[in-house]
Amino acid sequence: MADLRLLLVDDEPDFLEPLCTRLTRRRVACATAASGEEALQALADSRFDCAVVDVKMPGMDGLELLRRIRRDHPGTPVVLLTGHASVEMGVQGMELGAFDYLLKPVDLDELLDVVRRAAEQPREPGLP
Amino acid sequence: MTERISRPYRRLASQMLMVLLAFGLVPLVVMGIAGFAAQLNAVETRTRNVLEAMVKNRRATVELFLEEKRRQLELVAAAAPVSELGKPAVIEMLRDQLRSEHGAIVDLGLIDDTGRHVVYVGPYSLQDLNYSDQPWFEQVMVRGHYESDIFMGFRRFPHMVMAVKKREQGRVWILRATIDTDQLSDLVREGGLESGADVFVLNRAGEYQTRYSAEHRLMERADLPVPPLHSGVRVIDYAKHGAREFVATAWLRNDNWVLVARQRVPGFLALVVSSPIVTIVFVAGLLLVPPLSLFVARRRLSQIRGLERERAELYQSVAQSEKMATIGRMAASIAHEINNPFAIIQEQVGVLTDGLADAGGVPDAELRDRLRKIEAQIQRGRGVTHRLLGFSRRLGPGVEPIDVAEALNETLNFLAKEAEASNIQIVRDYDKDAPLIRSSVAQMQQVFLNLINNAIDAVGRDGEIRLSVRRDGDGVAVAVADNGPGIPAALRDRVFDPFFSTKTGPTHNAGLGLAICRETMLALGGRIEIDSRIERGTRFIVWFPTIPPGETNRLARAHA
Repeated sequence: MADLRLLLVDDEPDFLEPLCTRLTRRRVACATAASGEEALQALADSRFDCAVVDVKMPGMDGLELLRRIRRDHPGTPVVLLTGHASVEMGVQGMELGAFDYLLKPVDLDELLDVVRRAAEQPREPGLP
Repeated sequence: MTERISRPYRRLASQMLMVLLAFGLVPLVVMGIAGFAAQLNAVETRTRNVLEAMVKNRRATVELFLEEKRRQLELVAAAAPVSELGKPAVIEMLRDQLRSEHGAIVDLGLIDDTGRHVVYVGPYSLQDLNYSDQPWFEQVMVRGHYESDIFMGFRRFPHMVMAVKKREQGRVWILRATIDTDQLSDLVREGGLESGADVFVLNRAGEYQTRYSAEHRLMERADLPVPPLHSGVRVIDYAKHGAREFVATAWLRNDNWVLVARQRVPGFLALVVSSPIVTIVFVAGLLLVPPLSLFVARRRLSQIRGLERERAELYQSVAQSEKMATIGRMAASIAHEINNPFAIIQEQVGVLTDGLADAGGVPDAELRDRLRKIEAQIQRGRGVTHRLLGFSRRLGPGVEPIDVAEALNETLNFLAKEAEASNIQIVRDYDKDAPLIRSSVAQMQQVFLNLINNAIDAVGRDGEIRLSVRRDGDGVAVAVADNGPGIPAALRDRVFDPFFSTKTGPTHNAGLGLAICRETMLALGGRIEIDSRIERGTRFIVWFPTIPPGETNRLARAHA
């Protein structure tokens, strides 16, 4: 029985697959999407407690996806994940409504911790 | 290292100096010359007027003197009959009376119409001398009276003879007197004269008739040409042997004598001496203009050079930040590309580790150990890329809370290898209580980078670099000390000057490092100091304020 339902979005299947396996083992249900479009499709199909989104993706990038999720699925918190750390991007992400911002390679426990807090926060927070 | 002045600067400097000198000196000289010329003119006019007035006045005096003497003699001649005048006692009495009243008569005598000196009373032996062959005797007989020039008579002494004719019972007699010419000299020079002036009487032959100074003796020829006959007073400009003088002349005594007054014209030098204040001001002006011009030119030049230098510095610093930004972007991009494969490896290893844990019963200890080592290496790589990203992220000028010790360590990571290669010991002495400060990490780290780099260069091999972080007043002080050769006192103040460098050889740079450090520290509201001892080493201390200037208001608003 899964505590959480996560949507993992990254253009690298080799990253998504083992991460998903490990999360499942920790009783976290997860679905994967290899692009922004796939992620939006998955969100339209079912409900997730949290979306973990890689910022840098070909096509629709993480920030654009974040914007769409905030607009179309405001109840789903988004945690950004990237190999590229820049203050501007972090600030931009937070301003767009991301719950947090993590740096790859991320420690699994740290990711779980952030995701849990995101899922537990009150739904439909007052948007600016 | 001496400061070199490049050729265009030198040319600019000399041009500037020329213009300044011209603007300063030309008006001064023109005004000075004009002023002195005007003064000279005024002095000359005054001198001419004074001479003219003097000559006019003294001529009247001389005429009056001679007139008076003649009248006295005429009075005496008329006063008694020849029978009485023929007695020496009477003549003596008359002479004594004249002398006591007027003092100018030396002797007195009566001459008959044959020219014989019938009676003579005086200090010489002129009794019975015959004057009939003297030219003046003829003149008295014709004109009735006579006044001689000053002449050397029988007495071998310059004197003047005055004679008047007396007619009695068809016979002609002559009363003759000798006049003391000293009195005439006294009259002419009466009242004193200005320096460089002279007044005297000449006869037609140009011989002195009066004496004034040791320069002219009676009867000698004057060094002046005898002026032509003229009426009234004439003033001429007389130049002889380069010396100029004004000579005023007036003829008198039926044009037999000429009264001459001469006055040296004050030359330029005399004028300069006579008006010391004007001269001092003028000379002071002349002396002041060149050094002032030089001062102004130098000042302007150093301002221009300062501006040039600032521009070069700015250019260098812009180029430097541009370079750093590029390196930062590259580093970030590389870190990103490496982070993704790291993430994948980490997750794969994670799955394997999880799988081993699930296998429960007999986990392969060796396999588990090897996986842990892979994980450890991933962590290590992650450390490197994160540091790189941290560095590049902070290349922007953004202000953020900083742990100074951490920023220093981060910088040190980039130089640790270099220090290790030269066997340099790095000693860290950090104060745990140092507060967080708000500043620009990028700029702070650039300063650290420069200072530590310099220290590594200064130490050479096998040295030691001490880094300390301390709370200091309302901020944090960081000291970078090396045990290198130190910097001589004379150069210590100049290390912050742009283009100053003690480095030579391959590590030689533009000499901007410390100059940029100083600028950066000023921009951050902090300061940089140097403390160096020969053979002991050099220590740079930088101090950062807790809050950068201009941030206080923003903070206050944020708290409100």
